[in-house]
Amino acid sequence: MRRWGAALRFIGVGWFIGVSILLGVLAGLWLDSKFGTKPILVIVGLILGLVVAFYGVYRMLLPLMRSKRDKENN
Amino acid sequence: MPEKKGCLGCSFPLVIGLAVVFLVLLVIAFAAGPLGSSLFGDLGLPSWLTVPRPDPQLPAETVFHLFGAPITNSIIAAWITIIFLVGFSYVVTRRMKLIPGRLQAAFEFLIGWLYDLCCSVAGEVNGRRFFPVVATIFLFVAFNAWLALLPGFGSITAHTAEGEAHLLRPANTDINMPLALALTSFGFFWFFGFRAIGIRFMENFFNFREFLRGARQLFTGKLKSGLSGLFTGAMTAFTGLLELLSVCIRVISLTFRLFGNMTAGEILLLVAAFLIPWLFAIPFYGLELLIGFIQAIIFGGLTLIFLTLAVESHGGEAQ
Repeated sequence: MRRWGAALRFIGVGWFIGVSILLGVLAGLWLDSKFGTKPILVIVGLILGLVVAFYGVYRMLLPLMRSKRDKENN
Repeated sequence: MPEKKGCLGCSFPLVIGLAVVFLVLLVIAFAAGPLGSSLFGDLGLPSWLTVPRPDPQLPAETVFHLFGAPITNSIIAAWITIIFLVGFSYVVTRRMKLIPGRLQAAFEFLIGWLYDLCCSVAGEVNGRRFFPVVATIFLFVAFNAWLALLPGFGSITAHTAEGEAHLLRPANTDINMPLALALTSFGFFWFFGFRAIGIRFMENFFNFREFLRGARQLFTGKLKSGLSGLFTGAMTAFTGLLELLSVCIRVISLTFRLFGNMTAGEILLLVAAFLIPWLFAIPFYGLELLIGFIQAIIFGGLTLIFLTLAVESHGGEAQ
């Protein structure tokens, strides 16, 4: 039963990464076509999506990393 | 000890007979279906052997209007699930016994398992609070998926204003239903966050305190500490915004995970039944049973994880 929490945290990660990167790129494309600044906003959106993906995964897996570190310290 | 003959609980002749019948059915179905007829040409088999070509539709179809509001086929399926769950729970818990019967034992096992899951992830106190939300989402998603696997579920049609439409459609394959569930989980995220931490919960997302303090120090002449305060303040404000963005993206990722998996499964079943009629779809039915259960666990479990994150977010680190 203990392991379920860890498993569920890992399950959520995959789709989260995909959706956040995709949304960043799509928003960038849409804003580009609106303002006519062809490549800039796509790149900004992509970077923002990547940062959000990384940060979200870090927040979701933080308790796991912390418990692992505690185990190693003991 | 008498030696047991046969396998799978049947005697050998019965098993062999069944296997032969299955094989014959499979061969006939293969020859009659589109896959076989494209390989061997038209064999002149009767047309009732084949299954009509599926036309999966992404938006749900409106069946009728109730007080001006369109009632789609996925809403009807969701209602059936709700009625079934309410009725089933009533029947099971009407006469609770200390020594449970079969049905009560099964239900108690399921609920107890979910409860243990909540407590092991969120802790004893919070697990008790989160359990109703998580268990409701789990049961609703799982029974929606399993209801759709009943024979005849997708083949009942109804006459509507816009022509023929399916009367029932698995509720999870209409994107509004996963979205509604994800928004429910989003709402409970805020509710439990505010309940546990109070108005300071907002500081996880909008934290400008350090930034403003740095700015004040800059104006009062402490240049060095003011600049470093401004920098760290900007960083905290930025991570707060990232947190807010990631919470919003979680809703979308929950929605599309459930919708995508369920719609893909539905189309897989339709195509399998179309390509080789009859027996070929059975293994996929087994797969869909499993996938419905797994998606329910994922949706309920991720809701549980997010609620846990809400109550233990930065406030928990400070303790």
